[in-house]
Amino acid sequence: MKVIAPDKDGIKRVDGRLKVTGAIRYAAEYNFPGLVYGVLVNSTVAKGTMTAINGKAAEKAPGVLAVISHLNVPEVSGYKDGKAQPGSPFYNNQVFFNGQPVVLVIANTLERAKYGASLIKITYKVEPHQTNLDSNLQNAVKTGDDYMRGIANAYQSAPVKIEVEYRTPIHVHNAMEPFAVTSVWDGDKVTLYTKSQYIKGMQQDVMKLFNLPEANVQVYSKVIGGAFGSGSPLWPYAKAALIGSKVISKPLKVVIDREQMFTMVGYRSPAVQKIGMGASADGKLIGITHDAIGETATYQRFTEGITNTTCFLYDCPNVNTTYKLANLDLSVPTYTRGPGETTGVFALESAVDELAYALNMDPLGFRLKNYAETDLEQNLPFSSKYLRECYKQGAAQFGWNKRNQKPRSVVQNGWLVGYGLSTGAYWAGRAPSTAKARLSPDGILLIQSATSDMGPGTATVMTKIASEIINIPVENIKIELGSSALPPAAGEYGSMTTSSVGSSVYDVCTELKRKFNELGGNNDDNPNYVKILQDHKLPYLEVTRQSHPDANSGKYSSHAYNVNFVEAHVHPATGMVKIVRVVSVIDGGKILNPITARSQIIGGVVWGISMALMEGGVIDHRYGKYVNSNLGEYHVATNADVPQIEVIFIDKKDPVTNPMGSKGIGEVGIVGVAAAMANAVFNATGIRVRDLPITPDKLVQV
Amino acid sequence: MASKNSSNESEKDVKILDGTRRDFLKQSTLLTAIALTPAPLVRAAENGWDEKIAAVYEKVPLNIEVNGVKHQLSVEPRATLLDLLREQLDLTGTKKGCDHGQCGACTVHVDGHRINSCLTLGVMVSGKKITTIEGLAKGDQLHPMQEAFLKHDGFQCGYCTPGQIMSAVACIREGHANSETEIREYMSGNICRCGAYPNIVNAIQEVKDGGQTV
Amino acid sequence: MKQFQYIRPSTQQSVLEAINKPGTKIIAGGTNLVDLMKRGVTAPDKLVDINHLPLKSIASTKTGLHIGALALNSVVSENSLVIEKQPLLSMALKAGASPQLRNMATVGGNMMQRTRCTYFYDITMPCNKREPGSGCGAMEGYNRMHAIFGASQQCIAVHPSDMCVGLAALDAVVVIAGRRGERRIPFTEFHRLPEDHPEMDNHLAKDELIIAVEIPDNNFAKNSYYLKVRDRQSYAFALVSVAAALDISNGVIKQARLAMGGVAHKPWRLLDAEKALIGKTVSEESFKQAALIAMQGAKAYEYNSFKLKLAPATITEALKHASGLV
Repeated sequence: MKVIAPDKDGIKRVDGRLKVTGAIRYAAEYNFPGLVYGVLVNSTVAKGTMTAINGKAAEKAPGVLAVISHLNVPEVSGYKDGKAQPGSPFYNNQVFFNGQPVVLVIANTLERAKYGASLIKITYKVEPHQTNLDSNLQNAVKTGDDYMRGIANAYQSAPVKIEVEYRTPIHVHNAMEPFAVTSVWDGDKVTLYTKSQYIKGMQQDVMKLFNLPEANVQVYSKVIGGAFGSGSPLWPYAKAALIGSKVISKPLKVVIDREQMFTMVGYRSPAVQKIGMGASADGKLIGITHDAIGETATYQRFTEGITNTTCFLYDCPNVNTTYKLANLDLSVPTYTRGPGETTGVFALESAVDELAYALNMDPLGFRLKNYAETDLEQNLPFSSKYLRECYKQGAAQFGWNKRNQKPRSVVQNGWLVGYGLSTGAYWAGRAPSTAKARLSPDGILLIQSATSDMGPGTATVMTKIASEIINIPVENIKIELGSSALPPAAGEYGSMTTSSVGSSVYDVCTELKRKFNELGGNNDDNPNYVKILQDHKLPYLEVTRQSHPDANSGKYSSHAYNVNFVEAHVHPATGMVKIVRVVSVIDGGKILNPITARSQIIGGVVWGISMALMEGGVIDHRYGKYVNSNLGEYHVATNADVPQIEVIFIDKKDPVTNPMGSKGIGEVGIVGVAAAMANAVFNATGIRVRDLPITPDKLVQV
Repeated sequence: MASKNSSNESEKDVKILDGTRRDFLKQSTLLTAIALTPAPLVRAAENGWDEKIAAVYEKVPLNIEVNGVKHQLSVEPRATLLDLLREQLDLTGTKKGCDHGQCGACTVHVDGHRINSCLTLGVMVSGKKITTIEGLAKGDQLHPMQEAFLKHDGFQCGYCTPGQIMSAVACIREGHANSETEIREYMSGNICRCGAYPNIVNAIQEVKDGGQTV
Repeated sequence: MKQFQYIRPSTQQSVLEAINKPGTKIIAGGTNLVDLMKRGVTAPDKLVDINHLPLKSIASTKTGLHIGALALNSVVSENSLVIEKQPLLSMALKAGASPQLRNMATVGGNMMQRTRCTYFYDITMPCNKREPGSGCGAMEGYNRMHAIFGASQQCIAVHPSDMCVGLAALDAVVVIAGRRGERRIPFTEFHRLPEDHPEMDNHLAKDELIIAVEIPDNNFAKNSYYLKVRDRQSYAFALVSVAAALDISNGVIKQARLAMGGVAHKPWRLLDAEKALIGKTVSEESFKQAALIAMQGAKAYEYNSFKLKLAPATITEALKHASGLV
């Protein structure tokens, strides 16, 4: 058997060929015979009750097979005894937000379903609504996630201090693949094709909805066209599709449209954050106060760790944070790439920059002076922390020493030039996860786990892990994921997949090899698997293992870190901003597959560019409705907005997180990036934008 | 309508390719069925009666060539080329990202030119040659742009990828791949939310510099 | 989308006959119309596909450049005659939409595109342009993209085209065919201000068809520039755009053409500013003075007051580029 030479860049995507040929099928691409189409009609008021639904015209329209609402839906077993989650589709007449799915029109073609949906008329009894975070800050309530060490608000008595307020808008994931469900019932069994970041969790949700045993619910999520945190729950639109297909007893496909992507599948909460930060005259931090207010829905609460990073990133004796939520008549927010941290670290790392300028210190020098050697929040040592290395390598690669401390002092071809910097961190966690490995006489290793792949390359990195242990060519490894029938895996979120699922692949392959060696009676790094199977007349050898976090993991603080160096050019007259250079340095432990890891970090930086310069959901509060719920007005970065991005990995093992020594990098890639951009814009212009996004109107000068 | 249609289209000045559904059909609710109504009505729809009558009044014939295969179709004029490819021809490689010309995931070539298939009515490409991502490779041999996307990891989730690749091929053919800046501008009609842009630019540059025929 | 009848005439005469009926719309590229139909903003009973008419030519005439109404935006922008004689038009076209959309959109269709005002597109919201008498959602709403010139109490929407800004600056003429023959109107008089009838975007009669635009020859080719300021580097509508064309002799401006996009219900020609430039030497100071003149009468709303600063800055900058100062 050929021993593969380790490639320093790692392996190419194992599903790449299927993706570049268009052969891979996403959730809405299972065209079963007899498939019918469902289109959801959503509420057009922000709060109230539906008093009438006129579906007559729709029912008469050609090809329409069903019009389903709370008025005619057969009882859903999971809704009995008041168990329905508020806002569940077809549960009752209540409207909690503008854009809530309330009626499903099913027809035999997509065009007819759409037309049918356009004919639905709903009458409402409207109640006054509140959708504006800014005007509801006073009503925000504590989440209980407050923190304090040392003296409260100690920054106030510091010799040099700043007190500033930052605003971030709604961010909508806007994965390129619209959410879709293809649902097929067979008696009391249901099969669901959808995008899911947590397949086993979604299976449980479906079981609960219909009161079904596990064996009767099959969830497939073979490939995901992006999710970024939005793909975990069984959203109301999906429940509506499942109910609809049960009612009509046909395979049903429901795809939500781009506008519905803004109200039906979560978003990043906007936030208003106040930061007070003070230091001694020579730049030693004395105190940080970080008060954050976000929003959640009236019918469901969502919290995230906005102030998390503030509590441990710097060596500061006095830190106090608060986190409050305003309950608004909007759909519920959810996890969005770097949930919590992305919002909070924008404020923290902007404030650090502001204080450095107030001290007239190099922002990098200021950060190094306050470098945390231990986690002061948890009072624990770090399992690994190479942040200092990140600063050092990044600064050298970027040429940070060429930076001019004085804002608005560098001009190049008529554009103002600025350098900016940010630090980020994200918890390197891990959850129990199971994998099964089977090696057959054809030399093929099959690995199964009910995880998913929303883009980072889960199957690819699992293949890499397996190939390095089993020591067979990657072509001989088949990874099967994306089905609830496979061994239960952790969800694909929180930067945990490689650490959790990867560990189970690592463990199961290690055990499989040990078994082969045991059978073969030796201890070979490269056993002759096929011969051993043949010698023992075995059809295959198979191992299933659940892997758990290391028992010692609680004794350490584990985080991935990043540092971003950014060069921004700002046109002085028109306020246009161009990001021309980014160096992103990552301490993600051991990097298991550099090709895909690099792409993931680039993706995080691109999200950071979008967040810094253009993204923001806008709601007309008179109607409680988005006025930019499309990709033409909700801007995300285009190719022209993105320069070459240099990614540097420190690539040193973490001894605690998992047997591979990696730390998750999916989330950390975006954390802090927007602050680096805003800091670069300040360095270029002398204008501090504390209210994202930094659009030309905020910089235009005469 | 059927008789008008059966004459030689090219000789006729005005080609009436469709009649709107007549009033009598609208009133003929017998033929539509809604769930929760008695089973016989649902069965009427299942038997395709509604479909057959609708076909006469609402559908028009359409001849197109997709990836070298000629299709004689019967389509509603309101069906977009995108939905026609995905739902009727089961060519799901072409993606629907926004359905409003704002993302480029639906990019295909019509007579060699890249367009947004979501804003193109199927009936408007009558007689034209369509190339989708499924038609780019020659059998098992990938198109150089597909190879380059693989090599440079020009994607993550893969959903925008078919549109990116179709656009990238056109970008070179049009002569708009002469510099990084030009490639970026001429690839800006294709949104990639995973942010693979730098890798996409590298892939296109390699194909351009390789001088292969695209 | 509602079902509709679809016809594909092959002569201009039959198109003119077909469109003179209520509920009928012309489709060319479809990039805006299909979008509007999907959103239910418009729901024609009949679509007249004019793509088979022979209106695609781009040719030099004795007096200028003739561009057929069905010439594609991409084709016009890359046409060597256009680049040589009217580079401003090429630049404006390339600043618009995306390569795919420019491969579909026609010159005539570009002129006929509707505003991108969000309240116009969202059929659950009031809009006098979409539904006369229903009110203007933008006036007291989110009006960041909206007009600072020529708006009315009925409508503060802007025309979204880049191409039209270039054509307005270049004194183009629109050639229109009707059942009683052809007529020609100055490009700047094609689109209209909203006044009391925002539902009407332009002066094209229901039974007329745009067949061409003609651009008279000029001396602007050397000193033309189209500057578009937008929220991202590409594929976005203008916050403000400026088409600037100068005829400069020995550092003195002999003729000037200026038009703005993103500021009014129609491409906004800046005649007073042009006059002010004539006879001036090329300098940032004279450009700034012209920009100030251009801004007279501007009126902002809650979210678009930045345009009062951005517009003059963009005018100055565009003139600097056109004149070669930068």
